[in-house]
Amino acid sequence: MDLDLERIQPNEEEELLKRNIMTTTLDNVKAWARSNSLWPMTFGLACCAIEMMGTGAAHYDMDRFGSFFRASPRQSDVMIVAGTVTKKMGPLLRRLYDQMPEPKWVIAMGSCATAGGPYVKSYAVIKGVDQIVPVDVYIPGCPPNPAALIYGINKLQEKIRYEAKTGKKVTDR
Amino acid sequence: MMGLIKGMGVTLKTMTKQKVTRKYPDEPMEMPDRFRGIQHFDPEKCIVCNQCVRVCPTDCISLTGRKHPDPGKRGKVIDTYDINFEICILCDLCTEVCPTEAVVMTQHFELAVYTRDELFKDMGWLHENDSKIRSVNNVNARGVKK
Repeated sequence: MDLDLERIQPNEEEELLKRNIMTTTLDNVKAWARSNSLWPMTFGLACCAIEMMGTGAAHYDMDRFGSFFRASPRQSDVMIVAGTVTKKMGPLLRRLYDQMPEPKWVIAMGSCATAGGPYVKSYAVIKGVDQIVPVDVYIPGCPPNPAALIYGINKLQEKIRYEAKTGKKVTDR
Repeated sequence: MMGLIKGMGVTLKTMTKQKVTRKYPDEPMEMPDRFRGIQHFDPEKCIVCNQCVRVCPTDCISLTGRKHPDPGKRGKVIDTYDINFEICILCDLCTEVCPTEAVVMTQHFELAVYTRDELFKDMGWLHENDSKIRSVNNVNARGVKK
């Protein structure tokens, strides 16, 4: 491992603990297992959900990457927020996120979940789902086509493996 | 029992058929020509008419121009051109109104990022994004035969 454990500062250590990242080779194995069994929660809110369903169907077949849609947050690892999150839906989204077991990730799919999209001037829409839950991958598009969603999922897998391997955040590189 | 036989019949029938699943991450995906991906921008062609800014339904385009450096020439040249791709809905209206085809659509869709800042695309990025440009863009643009 290229990470020197002696050099970790106390404040960094706390962050690493919070993110459940330890720097061992076992972590690489865990990341490999986790990244190849990302079970997304069925969380479709608008038209992006149609593309998400299309990604799960025969032509794009998300099962190839070990991603199976689950109907319960308690059985899922990743929440694909597909669609417009209204202010009424916000607390429910947060609750569903809290109900998911650790480790958990969030993909913001489409312009609406990323930044509000066409509803950016609306009084009733949350401008970006990162205001209520931590988002790992943003996929722009209105809606992103299934291949773009597959690209986003691959990007999340890469992030999980990279963070376990180096102990650094992927946004810092 | 009948249902089981029927189901197995379907299974056996589809077994010999060709698979419909695309091998996307292993093989690159060919998009149809009219697919709308992220824009390409050509600063040479832009005449700073501001039409794309006005037509954009989400106001995600912002541009500034200045007077032509050559005093003998009329018109303006582009200074900055930014697309806030977070809220771009790829509606193609900027391409449709552009009189000189300065802003056109490409077929790039692999745009997922880790931070929202990366989705803010400036003129340099948009100019370098010059592959896979759509062949059919604005037919009403100047210099394009109908």
